[in-house]
Amino acid sequence: MLRKYWWKALSVIILIYVFIAGLTVPLSPGIERVAPTSVRTGDEFSLEVLGYNSRYDKGGPVRAWLKLDNERALEASSVQVQSGRRLTALFRIPEYLPVDRRVQDFTLILDNEADGTSVLPSAVFVTQDSIDPEMGRKAWVNSPVQDLHEEWAMTFPFRNILSETIRNTYFHVPLWFAMIFIFIASVVNSVRYLRGGSLEADNKAQAYTRVGILLGILGLTTGAIWARNTWGAYWSGDVKQNMTAIALLIYFAYFILRAVFEDPEKKARISAVYNIFAFVALIPLIYVIPRLTDSLHPGSGGNPAFGSQDLDNTMRMVFYPAVIGWTLLGFWMGNLLYRMGRLRLKLMDAL
Amino acid sequence: MGFKQENPIFAPMEILKEIGFLLRKEIRLELRTSYAISGILLYVFSTIFIVYTAFQKIQPNVWNALFWIIILFASVSAVVKSFVQENSARQLYYYSLANPISILLSKIIYNIILLLALSLLTWLGFSFVAGSPVRDTGQFFLALLLGSAGFSITFTFIAAISSKADNNATLMAILSFPLIIPILLTLIKLSANALRLMQDTAVQNDIFILLAIDLMLLGVGLALFPFLWRD
Repeated sequence: MLRKYWWKALSVIILIYVFIAGLTVPLSPGIERVAPTSVRTGDEFSLEVLGYNSRYDKGGPVRAWLKLDNERALEASSVQVQSGRRLTALFRIPEYLPVDRRVQDFTLILDNEADGTSVLPSAVFVTQDSIDPEMGRKAWVNSPVQDLHEEWAMTFPFRNILSETIRNTYFHVPLWFAMIFIFIASVVNSVRYLRGGSLEADNKAQAYTRVGILLGILGLTTGAIWARNTWGAYWSGDVKQNMTAIALLIYFAYFILRAVFEDPEKKARISAVYNIFAFVALIPLIYVIPRLTDSLHPGSGGNPAFGSQDLDNTMRMVFYPAVIGWTLLGFWMGNLLYRMGRLRLKLMDAL
Repeated sequence: MGFKQENPIFAPMEILKEIGFLLRKEIRLELRTSYAISGILLYVFSTIFIVYTAFQKIQPNVWNALFWIIILFASVSAVVKSFVQENSARQLYYYSLANPISILLSKIIYNIILLLALSLLTWLGFSFVAGSPVRDTGQFFLALLLGSAGFSITFTFIAAISSKADNNATLMAILSFPLIIPILLTLIKLSANALRLMQDTAVQNDIFILLAIDLMLLGVGLALFPFLWRD
Protein backbone atom coordinates (compact mmCIF):
# COMPACT_ATOMS: atom_id res chain seq x y z
CA MET A 1 0.00 0.00 0.00
CA LEU A 2 2.71 2.46 1.04
CA ARG A 3 4.90 1.23 -1.79
CA LYS A 4 2.27 2.26 -4.31
CA TYR A 5 0.98 5.44 -2.72
CA TRP A 6 4.22 6.79 -1.20
CA TRP A 7 3.92 10.01 -3.22
CA LYS A 8 0.59 10.87 -1.61
CA ALA A 9 2.14 10.56 1.85
CA LEU A 10 5.13 12.53 0.60
CA SER A 11 2.94 15.38 -0.59
CA VAL A 12 1.24 15.61 2.80
CA ILE A 13 4.54 15.51 4.69
CA ILE A 14 6.09 18.14 2.42
CA LEU A 15 3.09 20.45 2.71
CA ILE A 16 3.02 20.13 6.52
CA TYR A 17 6.71 21.08 6.47
CA VAL A 18 5.98 23.99 4.10
CA PHE A 19 3.17 25.29 6.32
CA ILE A 20 5.17 24.99 9.54
CA ALA A 21 8.48 26.34 8.21
CA GLY A 22 6.88 28.90 5.91
CA LEU A 23 4.75 30.42 8.64
CA THR A 24 7.01 30.16 11.70
CA VAL A 25 10.58 30.95 10.60
CA PRO A 26 11.15 34.60 11.57
CA LEU A 27 12.16 37.37 9.21
CA SER A 28 15.72 38.65 9.40
CA PRO A 29 16.25 42.05 11.04
CA GLY A 30 15.45 44.96 8.79
CA ILE A 31 14.69 48.67 8.77
CA GLU A 32 11.00 49.47 8.68
CA ARG A 33 11.15 53.24 8.29
CA VAL A 34 13.26 56.31 8.98
CA ALA A 35 12.56 59.98 9.61
CA PRO A 36 13.29 62.48 8.14
CA THR A 37 13.37 61.11 4.61
CA SER A 38 14.41 64.29 2.86
CA VAL A 39 17.13 66.76 3.90
CA ARG A 40 19.22 69.48 2.27
CA THR A 41 22.96 69.74 1.74
CA GLY A 42 24.84 71.15 4.71
CA ASP A 43 22.26 69.79 7.17
CA GLU A 44 23.28 68.15 10.38
CA PHE A 45 20.39 65.95 11.37
CA SER A 46 19.50 63.03 13.59
CA LEU A 47 17.92 60.17 11.71
CA GLU A 48 15.32 58.22 13.66
CA VAL A 49 15.29 54.58 12.69
CA LEU A 50 12.54 52.06 13.37
CA GLY A 51 13.80 48.52 13.00
CA TYR A 52 11.96 45.29 12.42
CA ASN A 53 12.86 42.16 14.41
CA SER A 54 16.02 44.01 15.38
CA ARG A 55 18.05 43.90 18.60
CA TYR A 56 19.95 47.18 18.64
CA ASP A 57 20.25 47.07 22.44
CA LYS A 58 22.05 43.73 22.41
CA GLY A 59 25.39 42.71 20.99
CA GLY A 60 27.76 45.61 20.82
CA PRO A 61 27.69 49.06 19.27
CA VAL A 62 25.56 49.81 16.18
CA ARG A 63 27.26 51.52 13.25
CA ALA A 64 25.34 53.38 10.56
CA TRP A 65 26.20 54.60 7.05
CA LEU A 66 24.46 56.57 4.35
CA LYS A 67 25.75 55.04 1.13
CA LEU A 68 25.98 57.13 -2.06
CA ASP A 69 27.33 54.43 -4.37
CA ASN A 70 29.51 51.36 -4.13
CA GLU A 71 32.62 53.32 -3.14
CA ARG A 72 31.34 56.38 -1.35
CA ALA A 73 29.50 56.55 1.97
CA LEU A 74 29.03 58.79 5.02
CA GLU A 75 29.30 57.29 8.50
CA ALA A 76 27.14 58.47 11.37
CA SER A 77 29.13 60.49 13.90
CA SER A 78 27.19 58.95 16.78
CA VAL A 79 24.44 56.39 17.21
CA GLN A 80 22.10 56.44 20.23
CA VAL A 81 20.14 53.29 20.90
CA GLN A 82 16.76 53.85 22.57
CA SER A 83 15.45 50.30 22.50
CA GLY A 84 15.75 47.09 20.53
CA ARG A 85 13.78 48.59 17.67
CA ARG A 86 14.58 52.29 17.93
CA LEU A 87 17.78 54.25 17.46
CA THR A 88 18.90 57.71 16.43
CA ALA A 89 21.92 58.26 14.19
CA LEU A 90 23.61 61.64 13.78
CA PHE A 91 24.67 62.51 10.20
CA ARG A 92 26.17 65.58 8.57
CA ILE A 93 25.64 66.10 4.84
CA PRO A 94 28.45 68.17 3.22
CA GLU A 95 27.76 71.49 1.49
CA TYR A 96 28.31 69.98 -1.95
CA LEU A 97 27.76 66.47 -3.22
CA PRO A 98 30.09 64.86 -5.81
CA VAL A 99 27.16 64.31 -8.20
CA ASP A 100 25.48 66.64 -10.69
CA ARG A 101 21.95 65.55 -9.82
CA ARG A 102 19.63 67.89 -7.94
CA VAL A 103 18.17 65.17 -5.71
CA GLN A 104 20.35 62.26 -4.68
CA ASP A 105 19.14 59.22 -2.77
CA PHE A 106 21.20 57.54 -0.08
CA THR A 107 20.98 53.97 1.12
CA LEU A 108 20.96 53.43 4.86
CA ILE A 109 23.14 50.60 6.18
CA LEU A 110 23.09 49.49 9.81
CA ASP A 111 25.43 46.94 11.32
CA ASN A 112 25.83 45.34 14.72
CA GLU A 113 26.89 42.00 16.09
CA ALA A 114 23.48 40.68 17.08
CA ASP A 115 21.61 41.42 13.84
CA GLY A 116 24.32 41.52 11.21
CA THR A 117 23.81 44.02 8.41
CA SER A 118 20.48 45.55 7.44
CA VAL A 119 19.92 47.80 4.45
CA LEU A 120 17.18 50.27 3.47
CA PRO A 121 17.58 51.39 -0.16
CA SER A 122 16.77 55.04 -0.97
CA ALA A 123 16.24 55.82 2.70
CA VAL A 124 17.15 59.51 2.59
CA PHE A 125 16.81 61.97 -0.29
CA VAL A 126 19.24 64.90 -0.26
CA THR A 127 18.34 68.05 -2.20
CA GLN A 128 21.33 70.10 -3.36
CA ASP A 129 21.01 73.86 -2.93
CA SER A 130 23.68 74.48 -5.54
CA ILE A 131 25.24 71.86 -7.75
CA ASP A 132 29.00 71.64 -8.09
CA PRO A 133 30.33 68.08 -8.49
CA GLU A 134 33.96 69.27 -8.57
CA MET A 135 33.69 71.01 -5.19
CA GLY A 136 31.81 68.04 -3.83
CA ARG A 137 34.52 65.64 -4.95
CA LYS A 138 37.21 67.72 -3.23
CA ALA A 139 35.35 68.18 0.03
CA TRP A 140 34.10 64.58 0.26
CA VAL A 141 35.32 62.72 3.32
CA ASN A 142 34.82 59.09 2.52
CA SER A 143 34.14 56.54 5.22
CA PRO A 144 33.70 53.26 3.34
CA VAL A 145 31.30 50.62 4.56
CA GLN A 146 33.53 47.90 6.02
CA ASP A 147 33.98 45.32 8.78
CA LEU A 148 30.40 44.15 8.44
CA HIS A 149 29.11 41.28 10.51
CA GLU A 150 28.08 38.29 8.48
CA GLU A 151 25.37 36.68 10.57
CA TRP A 152 23.84 33.50 9.31
CA ALA A 153 20.52 32.64 10.90
CA MET A 154 17.52 30.57 9.90
CA THR A 155 15.50 33.56 8.70
CA PHE A 156 13.68 34.80 5.63
CA PRO A 157 14.94 38.07 4.16
CA PHE A 158 13.25 41.32 5.16
CA ARG A 159 12.02 43.25 2.13
CA ASN A 160 10.63 46.65 2.74
CA ILE A 161 7.18 46.60 1.13
CA LEU A 162 6.78 42.84 1.43
CA SER A 163 7.78 42.36 5.10
CA GLU A 164 5.78 39.40 6.50
CA THR A 165 3.88 38.80 3.23
CA ILE A 166 7.08 37.32 1.79
CA ARG A 167 5.75 34.02 3.18
CA ASN A 168 3.18 34.02 0.39
CA THR A 169 6.07 33.00 -1.89
CA TYR A 170 5.47 29.41 -0.68
CA PHE A 171 1.81 29.47 -1.70
CA HIS A 172 1.28 31.89 -4.57
CA VAL A 173 4.29 30.99 -6.74
CA PRO A 174 4.31 27.17 -6.31
CA LEU A 175 0.57 27.04 -7.06
CA TRP A 176 1.36 28.46 -10.53
CA PHE A 177 4.14 25.94 -11.04
CA ALA A 178 1.79 23.14 -10.01
CA MET A 179 -0.94 24.48 -12.32
CA ILE A 180 1.38 24.41 -15.33
CA PHE A 181 2.55 20.86 -14.54
CA ILE A 182 -1.05 19.71 -14.20
CA PHE A 183 -2.09 21.38 -17.46
CA ILE A 184 0.88 19.73 -19.22
CA ALA A 185 -0.28 16.36 -17.86
CA SER A 186 -3.75 17.11 -19.16
CA VAL A 187 -2.45 17.95 -22.66
CA VAL A 188 -0.28 14.83 -22.69
CA ASN A 189 -3.38 12.77 -21.99
CA SER A 190 -5.32 14.57 -24.71
CA VAL A 191 -2.53 13.79 -27.20
CA ARG A 192 -2.53 10.20 -26.00
CA TYR A 193 -6.27 9.97 -26.61
CA LEU A 194 -5.97 11.33 -30.15
CA ARG A 195 -3.18 8.88 -30.91
CA GLY A 196 -5.52 6.00 -30.39
CA GLY A 197 -5.94 6.03 -26.62
CA SER A 198 -8.98 4.87 -24.76
CA LEU A 199 -11.63 6.96 -23.02
CA GLU A 200 -9.47 6.50 -19.92
CA ALA A 201 -6.95 9.02 -21.32
CA ASP A 202 -9.72 11.54 -21.98
CA ASN A 203 -11.03 10.96 -18.49
CA LYS A 204 -7.58 11.76 -17.09
CA ALA A 205 -7.29 14.88 -19.26
CA GLN A 206 -10.56 16.31 -17.98
CA ALA A 207 -9.72 15.44 -14.36
CA TYR A 208 -6.34 17.20 -14.59
CA THR A 209 -7.92 20.22 -16.25
CA ARG A 210 -10.37 20.49 -13.36
CA VAL A 211 -7.52 20.43 -10.84
CA GLY A 212 -5.56 22.91 -12.96
CA ILE A 213 -8.46 25.34 -12.87
CA LEU A 214 -8.72 24.94 -9.08
CA LEU A 215 -4.99 25.63 -8.68
CA GLY A 216 -5.32 28.61 -11.01
CA ILE A 217 -8.15 30.08 -8.96
CA LEU A 218 -6.13 29.54 -5.77
CA GLY A 219 -3.09 31.16 -7.38
CA LEU A 220 -5.19 34.12 -8.46
CA THR A 221 -6.74 34.46 -4.98
CA THR A 222 -3.44 34.25 -3.09
CA GLY A 223 -2.02 36.74 -5.58
CA ALA A 224 -4.94 39.12 -5.10
CA ILE A 225 -4.53 39.02 -1.31
CA TRP A 226 -0.82 39.65 -1.73
CA ALA A 227 -1.52 42.51 -4.14
CA ARG A 228 -3.94 44.06 -1.61
CA ASN A 229 -1.12 44.23 0.93
CA THR A 230 1.71 45.33 -1.33
CA TRP A 231 0.28 47.12 -4.39
CA GLY A 232 -2.77 48.51 -2.56
CA ALA A 233 -5.65 46.81 -4.40
CA TYR A 234 -6.93 43.30 -5.01
CA TRP A 235 -6.95 43.89 -8.75
CA SER A 236 -4.50 46.34 -10.25
CA GLY A 237 -5.02 45.42 -13.90
CA ASP A 238 -1.52 44.02 -13.97
CA VAL A 239 -0.77 42.18 -17.20
CA LYS A 240 -0.25 38.84 -15.46
CA GLN A 241 -3.54 39.17 -13.57
CA ASN A 242 -5.40 39.91 -16.79
CA MET A 243 -3.72 37.10 -18.72
CA THR A 244 -4.48 34.61 -15.97
CA ALA A 245 -8.11 35.61 -15.94
CA ILE A 246 -8.22 35.01 -19.72
CA ALA A 247 -6.45 31.67 -19.32
CA LEU A 248 -9.10 30.58 -16.82
CA LEU A 249 -11.85 31.68 -19.24
CA ILE A 250 -10.27 29.49 -21.94
CA TYR A 251 -10.39 26.49 -19.64
CA PHE A 252 -13.95 27.23 -18.50
CA ALA A 253 -14.86 27.13 -22.19
CA TYR A 254 -13.34 23.63 -22.31
CA PHE A 255 -16.00 22.40 -19.87
CA ILE A 256 -18.78 24.18 -21.72
CA LEU A 257 -17.61 22.40 -24.87
CA ARG A 258 -17.67 19.05 -23.08
CA ALA A 259 -21.18 19.66 -21.83
CA VAL A 260 -22.43 20.20 -25.39
CA PHE A 261 -21.78 16.66 -26.64
CA GLU A 262 -23.73 13.60 -25.53
CA ASP A 263 -21.73 10.87 -27.23
CA PRO A 264 -18.64 10.15 -25.03
CA GLU A 265 -16.35 9.31 -27.97
CA LYS A 266 -17.23 12.49 -29.83
CA LYS A 267 -16.99 14.51 -26.61
CA ALA A 268 -13.54 13.05 -25.92
CA ARG A 269 -12.21 13.64 -29.43
CA ILE A 270 -13.38 17.22 -29.84
CA SER A 271 -12.48 18.33 -26.33
CA ALA A 272 -9.02 16.78 -26.76
CA VAL A 273 -8.51 18.80 -29.94
CA TYR A 274 -9.66 21.97 -28.17
CA ASN A 275 -7.50 21.24 -25.12
CA ILE A 276 -4.33 21.02 -27.23
CA PHE A 277 -5.25 24.11 -29.27
CA ALA A 278 -6.03 26.06 -26.09
CA PHE A 279 -2.79 25.02 -24.43
CA VAL A 280 -0.80 26.32 -27.41
CA ALA A 281 -2.79 29.57 -27.35
CA LEU A 282 -2.03 29.78 -23.63
CA ILE A 283 1.77 29.83 -24.08
CA PRO A 284 1.96 33.40 -25.43
CA LEU A 285 -0.56 34.42 -22.77
CA ILE A 286 1.54 33.22 -19.86
CA TYR A 287 5.11 33.30 -21.10
CA VAL A 288 5.45 35.84 -23.90
CA ILE A 289 3.15 38.83 -23.44
CA PRO A 290 3.83 39.46 -19.72
CA ARG A 291 7.56 39.53 -20.45
CA LEU A 292 7.19 42.24 -23.08
CA THR A 293 4.83 44.49 -21.13
CA ASP A 294 5.32 46.49 -17.98
CA SER A 295 4.21 44.56 -14.97
CA LEU A 296 4.19 45.05 -11.24
CA HIS A 297 5.42 41.49 -10.81
CA PRO A 298 9.09 40.80 -10.09
CA GLY A 299 11.19 40.18 -13.16
CA SER A 300 9.47 42.61 -15.53
CA GLY A 301 9.06 46.31 -16.13
CA GLY A 302 12.36 47.12 -14.45
CA ASN A 303 11.53 45.23 -11.28
CA PRO A 304 14.24 42.90 -10.01
CA ALA A 305 13.91 39.34 -11.24
CA PHE A 306 13.02 36.53 -8.95
CA GLY A 307 16.60 35.55 -8.33
CA SER A 308 19.29 35.68 -5.69
CA GLN A 309 17.89 38.99 -4.41
CA ASP A 310 14.46 37.70 -3.49
CA LEU A 311 15.02 34.03 -2.98
CA ASP A 312 17.85 33.38 -0.56
CA ASN A 313 19.07 30.00 0.56
CA THR A 314 16.70 29.73 3.52
CA MET A 315 13.75 30.50 1.27
CA ARG A 316 14.90 27.93 -1.27
CA MET A 317 14.77 25.30 1.47
CA VAL A 318 11.02 25.90 1.69
CA PHE A 319 10.24 27.08 -1.84
CA TYR A 320 11.40 24.05 -3.84
CA PRO A 321 9.69 21.53 -1.52
CA ALA A 322 6.56 23.69 -1.78
CA VAL A 323 6.60 23.35 -5.58
CA ILE A 324 6.93 19.57 -5.29
CA GLY A 325 4.33 19.35 -2.53
CA TRP A 326 1.64 21.35 -4.32
CA THR A 327 2.28 19.51 -7.59
CA LEU A 328 1.97 16.09 -5.93
CA LEU A 329 -1.19 17.19 -4.13
CA GLY A 330 -2.58 18.37 -7.47
CA PHE A 331 -1.90 14.99 -9.04
CA TRP A 332 -3.53 13.27 -6.07
CA MET A 333 -6.66 15.37 -6.52
CA GLY A 334 -6.60 14.62 -10.25
CA ASN A 335 -6.24 10.93 -9.43
CA LEU A 336 -9.37 10.99 -7.25
CA LEU A 337 -11.31 12.88 -9.92
CA TYR A 338 -10.48 10.50 -12.73
CA ARG A 339 -11.30 7.48 -10.61
CA MET A 340 -14.66 9.10 -10.01
CA GLY A 341 -15.03 9.65 -13.74
CA ARG A 342 -14.16 5.99 -14.39
CA LEU A 343 -16.87 4.88 -11.98
CA ARG A 344 -19.33 7.11 -13.79
CA LEU A 345 -18.35 5.58 -17.15
CA LYS A 346 -18.82 2.08 -15.69
CA LEU A 347 -22.20 3.06 -14.32
CA MET A 348 -23.26 4.37 -17.74
CA ASP A 349 -22.27 1.07 -19.32
CA ALA A 350 -24.22 -0.86 -16.72
CA LEU A 351 -27.39 1.14 -17.21
CA MET B 1 -7.46 13.32 -57.27
CA GLY B 2 -7.71 9.93 -55.66
CA PHE B 3 -8.77 8.67 -52.30
CA LYS B 4 -6.25 10.47 -50.08
CA GLN B 5 -7.03 9.18 -46.61
CA GLU B 6 -5.62 5.77 -47.37
CA ASN B 7 -2.14 6.95 -48.31
CA PRO B 8 -0.70 9.35 -45.76
CA ILE B 9 2.19 10.35 -48.04
CA PHE B 10 2.72 14.09 -47.76
CA ALA B 11 2.76 15.58 -51.25
CA PRO B 12 3.23 19.37 -51.21
CA MET B 13 2.51 19.87 -54.93
CA GLU B 14 -0.68 17.84 -54.70
CA ILE B 15 -1.80 19.87 -51.67
CA LEU B 16 -1.09 23.18 -53.41
CA LYS B 17 -3.14 22.05 -56.40
CA GLU B 18 -5.99 20.98 -54.13
CA ILE B 19 -5.88 24.27 -52.25
CA GLY B 20 -6.15 26.13 -55.55
CA PHE B 21 -9.20 24.12 -56.57
CA LEU B 22 -10.89 24.44 -53.18
CA LEU B 23 -10.17 28.16 -52.97
CA ARG B 24 -11.79 28.70 -56.35
CA LYS B 25 -14.77 26.66 -55.16
CA GLU B 26 -15.11 28.77 -51.98
CA ILE B 27 -15.01 32.04 -53.90
CA ARG B 28 -17.46 30.79 -56.53
CA LEU B 29 -19.80 29.60 -53.79
CA GLU B 30 -19.61 32.96 -52.05
CA LEU B 31 -20.31 34.90 -55.24
CA ARG B 32 -23.15 32.59 -56.20
CA THR B 33 -24.98 33.09 -52.91
CA SER B 34 -23.84 36.59 -52.06
CA TYR B 35 -26.30 36.94 -49.18
CA ALA B 36 -23.65 35.99 -46.60
CA ILE B 37 -21.11 38.64 -47.53
CA SER B 38 -23.76 41.30 -48.11
CA GLY B 39 -25.26 40.45 -44.72
CA ILE B 40 -21.93 41.02 -43.03
CA LEU B 41 -21.35 44.26 -44.93
CA LEU B 42 -24.78 45.45 -43.87
CA TYR B 43 -23.89 44.54 -40.29
CA VAL B 44 -20.60 46.44 -40.48
CA PHE B 45 -22.09 49.57 -41.98
CA SER B 46 -25.05 49.70 -39.61
CA THR B 47 -22.68 49.23 -36.64
CA ILE B 48 -20.49 52.04 -37.91
CA PHE B 49 -23.55 54.23 -38.26
CA ILE B 50 -24.83 53.40 -34.76
CA VAL B 51 -21.40 54.08 -33.29
CA TYR B 52 -21.17 57.35 -35.20
CA THR B 53 -24.58 58.63 -34.13
CA ALA B 54 -23.91 57.59 -30.52
CA PHE B 55 -20.49 59.24 -30.28
CA GLN B 56 -20.67 62.10 -32.84
CA LYS B 57 -17.07 63.20 -32.30
CA ILE B 58 -14.76 60.20 -31.90
CA GLN B 59 -11.40 60.59 -30.17
CA PRO B 60 -8.49 58.61 -31.69
CA ASN B 61 -8.19 56.20 -28.73
CA VAL B 62 -11.94 55.52 -28.81
CA TRP B 63 -11.70 55.15 -32.61
CA ASN B 64 -9.03 52.50 -32.14
CA ALA B 65 -11.07 50.49 -29.63
CA LEU B 66 -14.33 50.74 -31.60
CA PHE B 67 -12.64 49.82 -34.87
CA TRP B 68 -11.26 46.56 -33.49
CA ILE B 69 -14.49 45.68 -31.71
CA ILE B 70 -16.43 46.10 -34.97
CA ILE B 71 -13.81 43.98 -36.79
CA LEU B 72 -13.93 41.32 -34.07
CA PHE B 73 -17.69 40.80 -34.21
CA ALA B 74 -17.83 41.05 -37.99
CA SER B 75 -15.04 38.45 -38.27
CA VAL B 76 -16.78 36.00 -35.96
CA SER B 77 -20.01 36.22 -37.90
CA ALA B 78 -18.14 35.99 -41.21
CA VAL B 79 -16.15 32.90 -40.27
CA VAL B 80 -18.77 30.99 -38.27
CA LYS B 81 -20.46 29.65 -41.41
CA SER B 82 -17.20 28.18 -42.81
CA PHE B 83 -18.06 24.58 -42.01
CA VAL B 84 -21.83 24.66 -41.88
CA GLN B 85 -22.85 26.33 -45.13
CA GLU B 86 -22.64 23.04 -47.02
CA ASN B 87 -24.50 19.96 -45.85
CA SER B 88 -22.59 17.20 -44.15
CA ALA B 89 -22.97 14.72 -46.99
CA ARG B 90 -21.24 17.06 -49.40
CA GLN B 91 -18.54 17.79 -46.81
CA LEU B 92 -17.90 14.07 -46.52
CA TYR B 93 -17.57 13.99 -50.28
CA TYR B 94 -14.89 16.73 -50.15
CA TYR B 95 -13.02 14.87 -47.45
CA SER B 96 -13.03 11.74 -49.55
CA LEU B 97 -11.59 13.70 -52.47
CA ALA B 98 -9.05 15.97 -50.84
CA ASN B 99 -6.51 15.96 -48.04
CA PRO B 100 -8.01 17.47 -44.82
CA ILE B 101 -4.98 19.75 -44.59
CA SER B 102 -5.81 21.35 -47.92
CA ILE B 103 -9.44 21.74 -46.89
CA LEU B 104 -8.49 23.61 -43.73
CA LEU B 105 -5.79 25.66 -45.47
CA SER B 106 -8.10 26.68 -48.31
CA LYS B 107 -10.73 27.81 -45.80
CA ILE B 108 -8.12 29.73 -43.80
CA ILE B 109 -6.74 31.45 -46.91
CA TYR B 110 -10.24 32.24 -48.12
CA ASN B 111 -11.12 33.72 -44.72
CA ILE B 112 -7.92 35.80 -44.67
CA ILE B 113 -8.92 37.34 -47.99
CA LEU B 114 -12.49 37.85 -46.78
CA LEU B 115 -11.47 39.40 -43.44
CA LEU B 116 -8.85 41.63 -45.05
CA ALA B 117 -11.45 42.95 -47.50
CA LEU B 118 -13.89 43.33 -44.64
CA SER B 119 -11.46 45.28 -42.46
CA LEU B 120 -10.42 47.51 -45.36
CA LEU B 121 -14.09 48.28 -46.02
CA THR B 122 -14.66 48.94 -42.32
CA TRP B 123 -11.68 51.29 -42.31
CA LEU B 124 -13.07 53.07 -45.35
CA GLY B 125 -16.60 53.31 -43.98
CA PHE B 126 -15.48 54.35 -40.50
CA SER B 127 -13.15 56.99 -41.92
CA PHE B 128 -15.97 58.27 -44.11
CA VAL B 129 -18.26 59.09 -41.19
CA ALA B 130 -15.83 59.61 -38.32
CA GLY B 131 -12.56 60.66 -39.99
CA SER B 132 -9.39 58.62 -40.01
CA PRO B 133 -6.86 59.30 -37.24
CA VAL B 134 -4.37 56.88 -38.83
CA ARG B 135 -0.96 58.54 -39.09
CA ASP B 136 1.17 55.64 -40.30
CA THR B 137 -0.83 54.01 -43.07
CA GLY B 138 1.75 51.28 -43.80
CA GLN B 139 1.84 50.16 -40.20
CA PHE B 140 -1.93 50.24 -39.88
CA PHE B 141 -2.25 48.14 -43.02
CA LEU B 142 0.26 45.68 -41.60
CA ALA B 143 -1.85 45.48 -38.43
CA LEU B 144 -4.93 44.75 -40.55
CA LEU B 145 -3.07 42.06 -42.50
CA LEU B 146 -1.67 40.34 -39.40
CA GLY B 147 -5.02 40.72 -37.68
CA SER B 148 -6.92 39.12 -40.56
CA ALA B 149 -4.44 36.25 -40.56
CA GLY B 150 -4.68 35.71 -36.79
CA PHE B 151 -8.48 36.02 -36.69
CA SER B 152 -8.84 33.76 -39.70
CA ILE B 153 -6.60 30.99 -38.32
CA THR B 154 -8.18 31.00 -34.85
CA PHE B 155 -11.80 31.47 -35.91
CA THR B 156 -11.64 28.95 -38.77
CA PHE B 157 -10.31 26.28 -36.45
CA ILE B 158 -12.85 27.08 -33.74
CA ALA B 159 -15.58 27.10 -36.42
CA ALA B 160 -14.47 23.58 -37.32
CA ILE B 161 -14.81 22.54 -33.66
CA SER B 162 -18.14 24.23 -33.07
CA SER B 163 -19.61 22.96 -36.34
CA LYS B 164 -19.69 19.55 -34.63
CA ALA B 165 -22.29 20.84 -32.17
CA ASP B 166 -25.90 21.71 -32.89
CA ASN B 167 -25.94 25.22 -31.47
CA ASN B 168 -22.74 26.26 -33.15
CA ALA B 169 -23.00 30.08 -33.24
CA THR B 170 -23.13 30.37 -29.43
CA LEU B 171 -20.36 27.82 -28.97
CA MET B 172 -18.23 29.69 -31.50
CA ALA B 173 -18.40 32.90 -29.44
CA ILE B 174 -17.74 31.12 -26.14
CA LEU B 175 -14.72 29.23 -27.47
CA SER B 176 -13.13 31.88 -29.64
CA PHE B 177 -13.35 35.10 -27.63
CA PRO B 178 -10.97 34.08 -24.83
CA LEU B 179 -8.57 32.56 -27.37
CA ILE B 180 -8.44 35.68 -29.52
CA ILE B 181 -7.63 38.10 -26.67
CA PRO B 182 -3.80 37.81 -26.87
CA ILE B 183 -3.90 38.49 -30.61
CA LEU B 184 -6.41 41.32 -30.17
CA LEU B 185 -4.40 43.02 -27.40
CA THR B 186 -1.23 42.98 -29.48
CA LEU B 187 -3.16 44.27 -32.49
CA ILE B 188 -4.67 47.15 -30.53
CA LYS B 189 -1.18 48.07 -29.33
CA LEU B 190 0.19 47.93 -32.87
CA SER B 191 -2.59 50.04 -34.31
CA ALA B 192 -2.39 52.52 -31.40
CA ASN B 193 1.17 52.97 -32.54
CA ALA B 194 0.03 53.54 -36.13
CA LEU B 195 -2.43 56.15 -34.81
CA ARG B 196 0.46 57.76 -32.89
CA LEU B 197 -1.44 57.34 -29.63
CA MET B 198 1.80 56.00 -28.22
CA GLN B 199 5.38 55.93 -29.37
CA ASP B 200 6.63 52.38 -29.25
CA THR B 201 10.24 51.98 -30.20
CA ALA B 202 9.96 48.20 -30.20
CA VAL B 203 7.22 47.88 -32.80
CA GLN B 204 8.97 45.01 -34.54
CA ASN B 205 8.60 43.11 -31.26
CA ASP B 206 4.81 43.26 -31.51
CA ILE B 207 4.91 42.29 -35.18
CA PHE B 208 7.14 39.37 -34.32
CA ILE B 209 4.80 38.24 -31.52
CA LEU B 210 1.79 38.38 -33.83
CA LEU B 211 3.61 36.42 -36.52
CA ALA B 212 4.77 33.85 -33.96
CA ILE B 213 1.28 33.40 -32.49
CA ASP B 214 -0.24 33.12 -35.98
CA LEU B 215 2.28 30.52 -37.12
CA MET B 216 2.04 28.53 -33.90
CA LEU B 217 -1.76 28.36 -34.04
CA LEU B 218 -1.62 27.51 -37.75
CA GLY B 219 0.81 24.66 -37.07
CA VAL B 220 -1.28 23.19 -34.26
CA GLY B 221 -4.46 23.68 -36.26
CA LEU B 222 -3.03 21.79 -39.21
CA ALA B 223 -1.75 19.01 -36.95
CA LEU B 224 -5.09 18.62 -35.17
CA PHE B 225 -7.55 19.07 -38.01
CA PRO B 226 -7.25 15.49 -39.35
CA PHE B 227 -8.64 14.31 -35.97
CA LEU B 228 -11.50 16.75 -36.12
CA TRP B 229 -13.23 16.39 -39.45
CA ARG B 230 -14.32 12.76 -39.34
CA ASP B 231 -17.61 11.98 -37.67
